[in-house]
Amino acid sequence: METFNHIVNGLGVALMPINLWYTFVGVLIGTIVGILPGIGPSASIALLIPVTYGMDPASGLIMMAGVYYGTKYGGSTTAILIRTPGEAASVMTSIDGYEMARKGRAGAALAISAIGSFIAGTLGVVALTLFAVPLASTALKFGPAEYFTLMLFALTAVASLSGKSPAKGLLSTILGLMIATIGIDLQSGQQRFTAGIAEFQDGIGFIVVVVGMFALAEVFRGLEKIHSGTSDPAMRITGKLWITREEWRRSKGPIWRGSIMGFLIGILPGAGGTIASLLSYSTEKRLSKNPEEFGKGAIEGVAGPEAANNSDTAGAMVPLLTLGVPGGGATAVMMGAFIMHGVQPGPLLFQNRPDLVWGLINSMYIGNVMLLILNLPLIGIFVRLLYIPSGILYPLIIAISVLGTFAINGSMVELYLVLFFGVLGYIFDKVEIPIPPLVLSLVLAGIMEQSFRQALTLSDGNPVVFVSSGISATLVFMSAVSLALPFLIPRLKQVKPEQD
Amino acid sequence: MKSDKLIVLATLVLAALYWFATEQINEPLIGDPIGPKAIPRLLIIGLVIAAALLWLETLASRKTRAAAMAADNPQPVRRPFFILALLGGTLAYFFLFSWLGYAIATALYLYALMAIFNPGETWANALTSIGFSFGSYLAFTRLFGAQIPAGLLPF
Repeated sequence: METFNHIVNGLGVALMPINLWYTFVGVLIGTIVGILPGIGPSASIALLIPVTYGMDPASGLIMMAGVYYGTKYGGSTTAILIRTPGEAASVMTSIDGYEMARKGRAGAALAISAIGSFIAGTLGVVALTLFAVPLASTALKFGPAEYFTLMLFALTAVASLSGKSPAKGLLSTILGLMIATIGIDLQSGQQRFTAGIAEFQDGIGFIVVVVGMFALAEVFRGLEKIHSGTSDPAMRITGKLWITREEWRRSKGPIWRGSIMGFLIGILPGAGGTIASLLSYSTEKRLSKNPEEFGKGAIEGVAGPEAANNSDTAGAMVPLLTLGVPGGGATAVMMGAFIMHGVQPGPLLFQNRPDLVWGLINSMYIGNVMLLILNLPLIGIFVRLLYIPSGILYPLIIAISVLGTFAINGSMVELYLVLFFGVLGYIFDKVEIPIPPLVLSLVLAGIMEQSFRQALTLSDGNPVVFVSSGISATLVFMSAVSLALPFLIPRLKQVKPEQD
Repeated sequence: MKSDKLIVLATLVLAALYWFATEQINEPLIGDPIGPKAIPRLLIIGLVIAAALLWLETLASRKTRAAAMAADNPQPVRRPFFILALLGGTLAYFFLFSWLGYAIATALYLYALMAIFNPGETWANALTSIGFSFGSYLAFTRLFGAQIPAGLLPF
């Protein structure tokens, strides 16, 4: 009953005019960001954090969440019209969506994408509402050892699943943890790796790293692309912006399956929307009576993956809100935003700030309705964004990054650091070191080290504490498996053909 | 792959430097039993393990070298001088930031970038650069109360 009251109160928070406005602003920015190729949800949330500084935390977080799930809607537009996913998770949509557009069915592809996204997004939030409290109640029983092993599992899973090379994922994770060790150690008061620079005593700002590695690095890549002259022309929206009865019949199943698959994958650390849409696409192809149509404009190839990558966002909010453990790059930036607003995500959030957490969750229902309106009747207006020259857009993003970073602390050192991390992000992309594990470990490092040291202090320095309870032992085992599997699977695949 | 071997080398160098810096941290006589050096030391081990695993991956990929040759460095740095010039220009912008002020320095920087990457649109580039720089300056200083360098501007 208490939870029901909190949900109702949260609905009141979400329906406040100011929060309705910020939900709208968030989903509008999300749609725009999703449509513009190159700038992903992580970069846009990071750039918005400074702007939301003076706001009420609930309003600021509602707006940033709107950006997060809004990008998933917008991402399909570019995938369908220019075969370039606006954000990574729309990559599967670009296969059949673009083929539908070439056959004069761009309107239908955009319509099923928006409808599928709406159904999946809403179902995802319903599941988030149902799962959140039981999971948060379980997490309340966690001690420092359980928390440390949980975060260890999140990091190892993300390191293993990000990018092509698990070793590079691990390297990225460790680099993030190393950056987090810079500054004054909170438990002993000793300076670590500050090199005598006063600005480093409080550590390297999270915003500095995220804006540099996501926003600035993406701009560098984009400008390089313009310089080398590799851009795709945009297709015009053709055909009615609606679907036929037959297309709806073919899309219903993929949308339902995609919604369930996306939500479950979203909960797992490291998997993310790209894997969800990939799995949905391959499942639909396998289940289809006409698999040969896939890749040539099958509507199931748009409906399923779009549903999967949208319900994934609600799934990803489950571990973030209930455990305080993000499962990927964008949710890590969201967690950074929570912390910068003085709100610590985790099980206590549901006890201490039910108005905020339920206001945020309920705003997602409203945001999904707004997104359906923005992405169906108004899509023609947003498509015009594709005609903004990138040569104007990318320089503006650099200026926004500089202004946003400087406005927080007024520090020139932080501007140089943003540039440093921008170049580092650009180099990481060139040598294929994934960035999300670094950001995730940077966000988790503080709590992780604290839990590690608290657990060892409580056990008089005995490391057995990390395997003494069933939960922590299981998590340690799962961490070891998630690290070992990516190395073992290729070996097993090599052995199998030899036996055959 | 050549770039991966360089990453292995860079990781080992970084591990050595990080180890040296870790040993410079003062260890307090009282406090928690672990101390401020424990996590950095674990991270050094982690770095060495990551380098070793990457080395093993590089060795394993030798078998498929022919295929790897085609895929090697799939996103090469297309124009190293391009990125250096961009970096130099951005550094110059930061130097001018305090002296000329945010609005003027940003307008100049944006116009320069737009002239290179959006050529032939002189008026559109100029209006966007000036409009964005002064608009964002006024928005952040007047609406959000942020302290942004005014530089040569009287307001």
